[in-house]
Amino acid sequence: MKNRFKIWQFLLLIWIITLLIRFELLINTYDLIFSWLILLISDLDTALSQISFDLLDSMIAGILFIVIPLLSIIYRKKLGFLYGKVFPAAIFLILLITCFLFAPLISNKNPDFYKNIGITKLLPPLSSVQVLHFKNDQNFQPSESFEKFLFLKDKVVKKSFDESIQYLDSISTGGKIIYYQNGIGKEANRESLLLRVKDPFITKQMFILGSDQFGRDVLTRLIYGARISLMVGFGSVIISLIIGLTFGFLAGYGGGLPDAVFSRFTDMLLSFPIIFLVVLILALFGNSLLSVIVVLGFSSWMSLFKVVKTEVLSIKEKNYFVSSKLLGLSKKQLLFNEVLPVIIVPIIVNVIFQFGNVIIAESALSYLGLGLGNNYPSWGSMIQSGQEYLSLAWWMIFSPGITLIFTLLSANSFGISLSRKLNPRLQND
Amino acid sequence: MIIKKYSLIIIALLLVVGGCEKESPVHSNRVVVALSADITSFNPLFSFSVDEGVVSELLYLSLVDFTWDEEKGNIKPGPMLAKKWEWSKDSSSITFDLRDDVYWSDGRKFYAEDVVFSFDVYSDPGVQSRLYGGFTDFYTDDENHVNVNKTFEVIDSFKVRINFKPNSTPTLPEIIFHIIPKHVFENVERKSIEASEENFKPVTNGPFKLAGWDKNQTIRLKVNDQSFLHNPNGVSEIIFKVVPDYNSRLTQLKKGEVDFVELVKTEDIPGLKQVDYLNISSQKGREYDYLAWNNIDYELYNTNGKIKPHKFFGSPVVRRALSYGINRREILDEYLAGYGQLAIGPVSPIFKGVIDSGLEQYEYNPEKSKQLLESEGWKDIDNDGILEKGNTEFRFKLFIPSGNPRRNYAATIVKNNLKQLGIDVTIESVEMGVLIDNMYKKAMDAWMIGLYIAIPIDLKIAWYSDLEKTPYNFVSYKNAEADKILDEISEETYQGKLDSLYRQLQEIIHRDEPVTFLYWVDNIVVYNKRIENININPLGTIHHCWNWTVRK
Amino acid sequence: MRSTIARLLIKRIFSSIIILFLIITFLFFLVRISPGDPVQKFVNPTLSPKLAEQVRESLNLDKPIHMQYIGFLTSAISGDLGVSYNFRRDVSSVILEYLPFTLLFTSVSFIFQMIVSFWLSIKSVKKINGLFDRALSNITLLIYATPVFVTGVFLVFIFSELLNIFPSSGLSSYDSADFSFWARLTDYIYHLILPIITLSLIEIAIFYKYLRDNLEDVYNKLFVLNLRASGVSEKDILLKHVIPNAINPLITIAGIELGIMLGGTLIVEVVFGLPGMGRLIIEAIFTRDYPLVIGCSLVVSFLIIFSNFLADIIKAFLDKRLLTGSLN
Repeated sequence: MKNRFKIWQFLLLIWIITLLIRFELLINTYDLIFSWLILLISDLDTALSQISFDLLDSMIAGILFIVIPLLSIIYRKKLGFLYGKVFPAAIFLILLITCFLFAPLISNKNPDFYKNIGITKLLPPLSSVQVLHFKNDQNFQPSESFEKFLFLKDKVVKKSFDESIQYLDSISTGGKIIYYQNGIGKEANRESLLLRVKDPFITKQMFILGSDQFGRDVLTRLIYGARISLMVGFGSVIISLIIGLTFGFLAGYGGGLPDAVFSRFTDMLLSFPIIFLVVLILALFGNSLLSVIVVLGFSSWMSLFKVVKTEVLSIKEKNYFVSSKLLGLSKKQLLFNEVLPVIIVPIIVNVIFQFGNVIIAESALSYLGLGLGNNYPSWGSMIQSGQEYLSLAWWMIFSPGITLIFTLLSANSFGISLSRKLNPRLQND
Repeated sequence: MIIKKYSLIIIALLLVVGGCEKESPVHSNRVVVALSADITSFNPLFSFSVDEGVVSELLYLSLVDFTWDEEKGNIKPGPMLAKKWEWSKDSSSITFDLRDDVYWSDGRKFYAEDVVFSFDVYSDPGVQSRLYGGFTDFYTDDENHVNVNKTFEVIDSFKVRINFKPNSTPTLPEIIFHIIPKHVFENVERKSIEASEENFKPVTNGPFKLAGWDKNQTIRLKVNDQSFLHNPNGVSEIIFKVVPDYNSRLTQLKKGEVDFVELVKTEDIPGLKQVDYLNISSQKGREYDYLAWNNIDYELYNTNGKIKPHKFFGSPVVRRALSYGINRREILDEYLAGYGQLAIGPVSPIFKGVIDSGLEQYEYNPEKSKQLLESEGWKDIDNDGILEKGNTEFRFKLFIPSGNPRRNYAATIVKNNLKQLGIDVTIESVEMGVLIDNMYKKAMDAWMIGLYIAIPIDLKIAWYSDLEKTPYNFVSYKNAEADKILDEISEETYQGKLDSLYRQLQEIIHRDEPVTFLYWVDNIVVYNKRIENININPLGTIHHCWNWTVRK
Repeated sequence: MRSTIARLLIKRIFSSIIILFLIITFLFFLVRISPGDPVQKFVNPTLSPKLAEQVRESLNLDKPIHMQYIGFLTSAISGDLGVSYNFRRDVSSVILEYLPFTLLFTSVSFIFQMIVSFWLSIKSVKKINGLFDRALSNITLLIYATPVFVTGVFLVFIFSELLNIFPSSGLSSYDSADFSFWARLTDYIYHLILPIITLSLIEIAIFYKYLRDNLEDVYNKLFVLNLRASGVSEKDILLKHVIPNAINPLITIAGIELGIMLGGTLIVEVVFGLPGMGRLIIEAIFTRDYPLVIGCSLVVSFLIIFSNFLADIIKAFLDKRLLTGSLN
C-alpha cells in the first residue's frame, strides 16, 4: 500500500481536530489574552501580578496555535520536510511535539487534578464515572474588565481542584437528592445544584487510559509527561552539545596539552558506568528538574567530544582550513564557519541518539527513586508508581512504558533514516 | 553445525531448569521470615537497625524480659537472665538474682561478670555502641564511661547489685539490654570490637543459635535446646531470608517460600486476603507521620540564637488552620485503607492509661481553615490564587524523604489541599540522611516525617523547650506551661498522678498544634496460617517467637 | 618490534593508573562537598551533639578536607581503602564478597549474548533481507528502545506473576544449603535465568546488529566470491573465512559494551535483588558510606579499563598489523 499522505496534511489534520474538539476553550483563551492585554494597558501592576506559569502556558499555547500554522504557510518554501511523506516515526514525534507545545489545549484537565479518590482511583481504561455539578458562586456575568479577566482565567486555566463537582457511584433524585459515594449517602440541597430543567445536571467522565492511585487521569498525565521527558531530553542534549563541541574543538584544534587534558578527562568519565555517576551526584546533591537536566547533560557529551575531535583533526590539515586561518579568522569564527558545516551531519545523528539515551536515563532515575518526584508528571515516575500497583493496575505501567518505548524507537529510527539521507557514506556503519 | 549444537544445549538447559519443581517447606518445622536487608553485625552492641535488633533478640538474652500489658497499655517486666530483682528503698540501687543454668553456645557458663562486663563495654567511648552515652544515671567518667568499681557489687557468681548516682531516677527499661559474653570479648581491643571477626561467629545464650549465614541471602537460626526457654513443640528453625524487593517478598509469601512478611502495603491486602492460607494482622500505634511546621524563624536562630516566631507557622492559629485544611481522613481511608488511626497528638493510642480521648479532632473543614487564616491576616488580595499578608505570599517548600510511597501519597494530597486554601507548596523529596541533617540544623520551613515512638512513653525528648538539650524538638516548639509539666513528669513516679499530668500536656499540645499530627500507621503483618501462637504486640512483630508453633 | 610493544603496553598501563587516580580524586571531593551527614546514623538521637563530634572524629571527618584526602590517598596506595561505615568492616573485604557474583553474572551473560547473537546473525545473513532477517532487525530495534528496567519489570510480571515459572528475585532458595552440588547449581541457574535475559536482550540486539552487518560485508567481498567459485563448501567459507574476518571489529565493541553492561547490571541487580556490586554501590550511595562508594567505583572503573585493554590485546593478537594502532 503506497501512502500519499504528506506531513503537512497530517499537521493540518491534527490542527483541525484540536480546533473542533476544543473550540470553546480556544475562544475563551483568545478572549482571555484579549482581556489581559486590556488590563495590561489600563492597570499594568495588576496585569503583571497575575502572571503565573499556568496562565502563560495557556496563553502561549493559544498564540502558537495560530502563529505556527501562519508561519508555516508563509515560509512553506523553506520548510521542505512538510512535503515529505508521513512515516510512523514522524507521526509519533509530531504528536509528541504537539503535546509538548499545546498540552493545555489538548487536555482539558490539570494533570494533578483529582477528586473523591475513593471513587476514581485505579479505574481501568475506558471506564467512566458520573459527575454531579454544583452551582459555582463565581457564575456571574462580570462587568468590569478585571473581573472579566478573572472569570475567563478561571475557565481557561485548569486547577488541580474543583469544589463545584462531586464524583459519585449512584444518585436518587426523587424528592430529596441523595448521592452515594463508596456506599455512603449524602444529601444535596437542590438550591446548591446546577439544574437542567428540573433534574440535577449529571455528566459522565471517561478515563480513556484509566486512572492512577489518586484517581488522576493517566492520559492527561501522559500528555503533560511528554513535556517533562522532551524538556529533559532537549535540555540535556543542548548542554552536552555545547560541552562536546567546545571541548572537542579545543582538543582537536589546540592539540598537545589541551588535547591531553580533555582526553584524559573524557577517558576518566568513560571508564565509569555513567549511571553510577548520575545516581551519585543526584543522591548527594538532591534532585530537581534543573539538576536532572544538568547532570544528564554533563554526563553524555563524551561521544560527541570524540566525534568532534576526530573531525576537527582531519579538517585541520585541509587546505581551505589552513587558508581561512591565515586570513585571520578567530577561533569562534573558525568553529562556526569552517568546522561546523562539515561535521554537522555526524553531530545531528549523534544528538538524536543522545536524546533517546537521555530519556531512558531520566526514566531509569525515576525508577531508582531519583527522578523528578511528584511535582511533575513524568513517564519515569509514572512507571515507578505503576510498579507499586503492578498487580492491581497494569495500565498504570503499560501506557507510559509503551509510550517510552515508542518515543525511543521513533527517535532511533528517525536518527537512522536521517543519517542515511544526509550522508550515504554512513549507511554501512 | 557447532552453533546449532550450542543452541540445543541452551534449550535443553532451559527445559531442565524450568521443569524442576520447587519443594515447598510446608511439612518442616521451620519458619522463614522475610527481611528487606541483610544485617551487618550479630553483635547486639551494634544492632542499629530494627532487623538487627530482631535477630540479636533471638540470640542474646537480657536481664529482664518485657511483655506488653494490653489492658493497662504499658510494659510489664518479667524474669529472664535475672530470676528476680529488688530495688532498694530509695531507688538508689537494684539487686539482680541471676539464673545459674544458662550456658553460652561455646559451653561456658553465664556469670555475673558477664553483666558487669557488658555495662563496661556498652558505655565505653572506644566501642561506640548503640547505647553509648545513655548511662546518665550511673557513676561515669567525663566520657560517659560507667565506673565499674563504684557501680557494681558482685555479691556472688549469680548475684549482682547496681548502685546509681545520687539524685538520679533510674528506671528498669533504661538499664535493660542484651548481655554479651565476657570471655569472648575481654581479649579483643575495645576499639576493634566493631570490626572484629567475633561479631560474625557469635557466642550466644539465647533461645536460638546461629546455624549459618549466607550473606545477603539467608540467616539460619536453629533452636538452642540447652536454653531454659526451649519449647520442644515450638519452631525448630527460623530462617531470615533477605528479599530486598517488596513485590518479590509478597510473591514468595503467596508461593509459600516465605512464611512471614511485615510492613505490607495496604493496597496489597485485597489480593492477599484471597489466599486462604495467609493470615493478616497488624501492630498498631508505634509510628505516626506528621507535618512539621517550623515554629521559629530558623535563619535568625541559626545566626544569633534569637527566637522569633516563623513568618507563616509562628502562630498557633495558622497551624490549627492548616490542620483543619488537610484531609487526613482521605489519606487514611484511601492509602492506609483503615490500617491506621487519625492522630490527635504525640501520645499513641496504645498507651491506654495515658491517652486523652476527650480531645476533639481537627476534622477536615476547608471553610473553617480559610476563616482562621483570614483572621490572621492571610487573604488573597490580588486574586492570583495565593494568599498574602502585606508583601509576603504564602508559599513554601515541603521536604519529604525520598523512596517512601506512603509519604509521597500523603504529600500529593497535602499539596492539593493547601492549594485549595490558596497556599502554594512545592514538594521537595530528599534523601533521608539529608532530611535528618537539615532537621538537626533547623534549616527548613516545613517537612513531613514519621516518628517511631519509644516504649515506655517519652515526650520530653521532643516537646521540651530547651533547644540545646532537646535534639528531637525539631520544630522548636516552646511553651513554658508544657515545660513545667514535662519537668514534673520526670520527677513523678506515682502512675495516677502521671496519667493526669500527661492529659494536661496533651491538651496544651493540642491547642498549640505545633505540628499537624496526621495518622498512626499500622505495621501490617502477613503470615502463613501454619504458624500458630503468634503474639503481635507493640514491642515487636516477632517478639517472643520461641513460643511460636507450627501446625503439622 | 617487541620493544615497541613493551613501550606501548607500559604507556597504556601508566595512563590507566592516571585515570584511576583521577577517578578517586574526583569522587573523593564530589562526595565530601555534598550535603548530608553520615554521622547521624550512628548517633542515638536522645544524646547530645557533643557525641556526634566524637563519632565524627573517630571517622576522620573532623579534619580539614585536604588532610582527609592526603590520609586517604596514602592508605589507598598501600591497598587500604578504609572501613565501611555501614558494614563496619574493611571496604576491600566487603567488595571481595560482592565482586565474584558480579563478575560471574556479567561473564555468563556475556557468553550467552555472544552465542545467541552469533547464532542469530549467521542465521539471518544466510538469506539477507529474508523474512527472518527483516523480522529480526525490527525486533532488535524494538529491544534497543526498551529500557532495561522496563524489560525486567515486564518479564517479572509475565514469568513470575502470571505464569509462575521463574522466581522473581534472589540468587538461591532459602534451603539451598541442604541441596547436593548439582541441585544447588540448577537452583542458581533457575534464579538467574530472568536476570540474565533482562541484561542480555539489549546487548544481543547490539552485537547482532554489528555481527550481521560485518558478516554481510565480508560475504560481499571479492575473496568470498572467489572461494565460492573455486568450489569451497559454504560451511568452510563461513567457519574459516567469514567469521574470523567479521569477529575483529566485534571485539572492540565488546570491550566497550562490557563497561556499559556493568552499568546495566546495576539496574538488573536492583530489579531482581541480586547481591552484586551494583546493589552494593547504590546502597553505599544512598547511605553515604563514603569509603565504600569510592572503593566500589575504583573497582568498577578498574574492570572497565581492564576489559577495554584486554579487548585491544586480543584484537592485536588476532591481527598483528593492528597492534601499534590499537594500543595508541
